[in-house]
Amino acid sequence: MKCNTWEIRKGKEEYLMKRVFWCAVVVMFLGAAPLLSESVEGDEYGKGETLYKNKCQFCHGMRGDGKGPAAEPLLGHPVDFTNSKFWQDDVQKKIEDTIKKGKEMMPAFDLTPDDIKAIIGYMSHTYKKAVQSSNQGRDEK
Amino acid sequence: MIGKKPGKVLLIPIVVVLLQLLPLNTAQAVPSFARQTGMPCNQCHTIFPELTPFGRIFKLGGYVLSKSGKQYEFPPPLAGMVQASYTGSKGLTSGVAPFDSTNRATDRMNLPQQLSLFYGGRIYDKIGAFVQGTYDGVSNKIFLDIADIRYSNNTIVWDKNLIYGLTLNNSPTAQDVWNTTPVWGFPFASSGVASTPAAGTIIDGALGQQVGGIGAYVFWNNLIYLEGTVYRTARDGITKPLGAGTTTEQVVDGAAPYWRLALEQRWKNHFFTIGTYGMQANIFPSGNRSGPTDRFTDIAFDAQYQYMGTMEPEHMQEHMHMDGEPMSKGGKHIITAHATWIHEDQDWKASFPLGNTANSSDFLNTFRMNLNYYYRSHLGDIGGSIAYFSTTGKTDNLLYSPDSVGGSRTGSPNSNGFILEADYLPWEKTKISLQYTLYNKFNGAHSNYDGFGRNASDNNTLYALVWLMF
Repeated sequence: MKCNTWEIRKGKEEYLMKRVFWCAVVVMFLGAAPLLSESVEGDEYGKGETLYKNKCQFCHGMRGDGKGPAAEPLLGHPVDFTNSKFWQDDVQKKIEDTIKKGKEMMPAFDLTPDDIKAIIGYMSHTYKKAVQSSNQGRDEK
Repeated sequence: MIGKKPGKVLLIPIVVVLLQLLPLNTAQAVPSFARQTGMPCNQCHTIFPELTPFGRIFKLGGYVLSKSGKQYEFPPPLAGMVQASYTGSKGLTSGVAPFDSTNRATDRMNLPQQLSLFYGGRIYDKIGAFVQGTYDGVSNKIFLDIADIRYSNNTIVWDKNLIYGLTLNNSPTAQDVWNTTPVWGFPFASSGVASTPAAGTIIDGALGQQVGGIGAYVFWNNLIYLEGTVYRTARDGITKPLGAGTTTEQVVDGAAPYWRLALEQRWKNHFFTIGTYGMQANIFPSGNRSGPTDRFTDIAFDAQYQYMGTMEPEHMQEHMHMDGEPMSKGGKHIITAHATWIHEDQDWKASFPLGNTANSSDFLNTFRMNLNYYYRSHLGDIGGSIAYFSTTGKTDNLLYSPDSVGGSRTGSPNSNGFILEADYLPWEKTKISLQYTLYNKFNGAHSNYDGFGRNASDNNTLYALVWLMF
């Protein structure tokens, strides 16, 4: 049995293509795997972090500064959670109402009271604390 | 044997997706992306299917942005589409496709021209899809139309946002987010029965639903987009499901790489984009499945300008909550302009020795540009477009030979003309279009282009379309 060079080349390319394809499929699902484990993380902070990443980060940004990847194309200014003014007044109710009813360009979200509580907990722990410690540092100086 | 197993494995998730399509709930009969995000259609579209800056980000984000707190969508994100059209052009017949079995391909009335069912939205967590199954009234066939399945995530790199992801799709440029590239370029709909020029580049739709490819992309700082995708034929093997229902006429040998680079810059409500894209494919001559191949190398450049209008502060409240739904912050006046130039080198390594071409190598240049204006009025969205198109290339008397209507007397692939279009959307999910295509040159000549007495102007086409999304 003899194979000509074209058959050998085609066989190699097919083999390579299949490897590339399946590597990409594996990467795609491996990429999703950590997210699956995050979603079942039991603690409140972990739940809030996951929800923030999935629901809020696209517009409000990873750092909560209102500069997520979708902020600029929205032609608007998503709220900056790193601004101390945001954390004044009854902020918990403000966040809850905005998530439930939506505001301006932000749609209303179908989240449970526990989900909303977890998001507020994560935001307070992450961004409010950062604002407070930044203000504290400024006062000490 | 090795090749068959992965094909079956790949079939499983596709069957799962198709099974999810079955329980279509008419109470949820709204376009699925809008239902999933809670945003109006015009958040992502100027006039569908053209994308706004936010629509581009939504697509790059993997179609997964959702108002739901769950990891998946229930009911599944389904949507439907009906296109009904009338075409007026010399030589067409008076029947109604698909009911007229004898002259379906030349019937003026197409009821429907296309009927589609979409899975459009999140599959699970960061994996989403735009998968379109279509019944075509002219060919009377059901097939898998555009399919784009993505995984996407975002992070911060060098202090700026980075969106990154993977795409599995079945048409080169289907995954692209700028409306300059072939699959999503202007005209967004056209007649299924009118005569069109014979010459076209490989990247310009010739491989649609005939290949399957997987690629990776990054979009950094809303500025630089980079993508690489590798395609293979959908005739057999692991990518076969991506060509379901389509006859693979262009059989790609081995891997066909596709690349894309684009730069987008915003200045207030103005968005500017320049980019390049292209691919190289080795394709067997028609009817062959082995042996030598012809090589096609496509290199393209494109540019887009988009003005999203400005909103006066006093109008903000009025536009935010019309009919209880928030509206896009874009203004009433929207302008978009697109241009693309594609150069293709054709190396007839297989076809020339077989006597299918007169030259050992040829080339094609395709240029298209269009300007769209949309006005969001209280009576609905109104739009108008003007476009110019041109294809030029090397004369080849065997490749473009004389034939009635579709042939060329001169052997030249040169064609050019204009398209005028008016659009009206009385509701955001209904589009009524009137389009007129005017040919100055068709398959190489202005008059008697086919050698049988037909003039380029005989192919001028009036196309009326009603396009419903639900």
